[in-house]
Amino acid sequence: MATIRRRLTLWYTVALAATVLAFGTALYIERRHASDRELDQRLALEADLAYRWLTQSYKVLGRIVTTSNLKPSLDPAISAYLEAARDYLIVADTSGQVLALSDVTRTLNAPALERLSAPLDTLPVVRHTGVLTLGPLNGSVRYLLIPVDSAGPAVGGLLVATPLRQASFGPTDLLRSMLFIAPVILLGAVLVGYWLAGTSLRPVEGIMDEVDAISDGTSLHRRLAVPLSGDEIARLAQTVNGMLTRLERSFASLHRFTADASHELKTPLQVLRAGVERALTHPGTPGEIIQSLDETLAQINQMTEMVENLLTLARADEGRAPLSVEESDLREVVADVAETAGMLGEDAGVSAVHAMPGSPVRLAIDRHRIREMLLNMVTNAIKYTPQGGTIALTLEEDGDGVTFTVQDSGIGIAAGDLPHIFERFWRADQARSRTGARPGTGLGLAITKWIAEAHGGTITVQSRPGRGSVFTVRLPKPPVQAA
Amino acid sequence: MKILVVEDDRTVGQYVKRGLEEQRYQADLVEDGMEGLRLASGGRYDLIVLDLRLPEMNGLEVLRTLRDRGNTTPILVLTAQDAVDFKVQALRAGADDYVTKPFAFEELLARVEALGRRPKEIRSPVLRVGELELDMETREVKRGGERIELTPKEYTVLEYLMRHAGRVMSRTLITEYAWDYHFDPGTNIVDVVINRLRKKVDSGHSQKLVHTVRGVGYVVKA
Repeated sequence: MATIRRRLTLWYTVALAATVLAFGTALYIERRHASDRELDQRLALEADLAYRWLTQSYKVLGRIVTTSNLKPSLDPAISAYLEAARDYLIVADTSGQVLALSDVTRTLNAPALERLSAPLDTLPVVRHTGVLTLGPLNGSVRYLLIPVDSAGPAVGGLLVATPLRQASFGPTDLLRSMLFIAPVILLGAVLVGYWLAGTSLRPVEGIMDEVDAISDGTSLHRRLAVPLSGDEIARLAQTVNGMLTRLERSFASLHRFTADASHELKTPLQVLRAGVERALTHPGTPGEIIQSLDETLAQINQMTEMVENLLTLARADEGRAPLSVEESDLREVVADVAETAGMLGEDAGVSAVHAMPGSPVRLAIDRHRIREMLLNMVTNAIKYTPQGGTIALTLEEDGDGVTFTVQDSGIGIAAGDLPHIFERFWRADQARSRTGARPGTGLGLAITKWIAEAHGGTITVQSRPGRGSVFTVRLPKPPVQAA
Repeated sequence: MKILVVEDDRTVGQYVKRGLEEQRYQADLVEDGMEGLRLASGGRYDLIVLDLRLPEMNGLEVLRTLRDRGNTTPILVLTAQDAVDFKVQALRAGADDYVTKPFAFEELLARVEALGRRPKEIRSPVLRVGELELDMETREVKRGGERIELTPKEYTVLEYLMRHAGRVMSRTLITEYAWDYHFDPGTNIVDVVINRLRKKVDSGHSQKLVHTVRGVGYVVKA
């Protein structure tokens, strides 16, 4: 959920950043064009005024350029008008020699003036505009150059120029403002987006919590509350409810089927048993027949056990687990199982030890089931312990309850398998089960877990491959009644 | 002692009837509830073995009717239902005990013996095979008057073999009697117990009492 929220926020932000960037770029480009146009209009106005002044003066006076000290210059009466121009203005003859300057132009230092008048060196040229960099002090200017051919042969052209920063709120200012504002907007977008994503996902989280509570196994009859809004959330709740109904129905029929099948299988198993057992114990039955009858009986027993385990687990799923509980001394059960463990160990070349308190450990239990649970744990431990290994069964008591542990020095369980070992019909090594090297019904640990939990207890396992496993069953004592 | 068996499945019925007869009980078999109720009402039986699923009239009805009429004959119920509430229902209706299907005959026999209070002359609490003696009351085992210490499982297996002295008992029969637990195929726990028994019972004696019948099972005989 948190990741969807983060992803949504990220997408909002990326989308907004892209929008802001595109908008900003478009605005910047447009602003630059507008600013250039504005400057050009101003330059054109100024240049045309100067052009007309020069042309008119020439028409009236016939001669507007005078030469003193071999240096030609515009007649002072004429240049006085040009000197008052607001912008840079240079009038030059056809060879680029400066004839007149506006007062503003005179404020430029020599190198800057040199650069500004450079376009005039290439006269005669056509009317054109351009950008010039004058130097660190004066910055860049936009200029307009006009060839002047109707003001006598001594005049070649004129150039007007104005600093780019003259443009009102120029593109550079715009860019600076945007770079400052955009992060603020984006940060706001992240916060608002995160909040929006959280708000719109909150009903989904609510549904998830409810589904979690329902899927604990015993609450399948419950349904989600469907909001009246009729929006996507309401539809999701309806869909989940429909799924729950189908799930509940199929679970119910599965349980009924398992229970019925188990029940219907038991009677024929009894018939099978009856025939085999009679023939097996009949005095005249030949040895080789007894051998195959015995194998048949063992198979009948295995099948009976499986049917009974399935029935028990099916009932446990429905919450109707049959336990017949009576107060017992757990040490008797442990001693009984320990003796069997010793014999199984002798058969498998594994040494089996046990330890328990010296005084009675009394607890209300189903003796038969607890014995079955311990036998399952012990046979399992021996099964996965190679020759020469050890298994240990211990019983401990403390103020709150009792703890059974079965520890082995066996092959252990891979970490990835640990969550699955209590599942029905689950086997760590799929190949091995077919070869029959480590046979079993596949229900042993599932039943073991059920027995522990039916007594209000827990079963846990710790294991390291190659080092062995420890199965621990913890059964709580009933709370002491206040006298 | 006369026992009435009411069981609709003929194979199971015959198995129970013959098994009981082999233990020198008298047993009659009927296959439906009405007939069962008629015979049971006669009061000629010391014990009734009653299946709960019967044609004509189901076992629970038979049970209630008998008890309502004041019949106090001990009744052992056979059921394929092992749910606790079902057993409680049968016990409330007046059953004295129950056995869950599928059952081993030994289990049925133990219940029958407990309910029937079998007279002493039919079975003595001391089993004897040659000079080996086993007292089922004190759980003491002696050979030639000398006491032999056995663990609980060793005792249970020896008692089972001595009760069927002279008959070969298969591994599976021994396992289910002594453990009531299904071990993985290939587990030789019975061989381990027999080896221990042999050491304790037969070592130092020229006459061996515990015998292996290869591939078949074990027998105790003189």
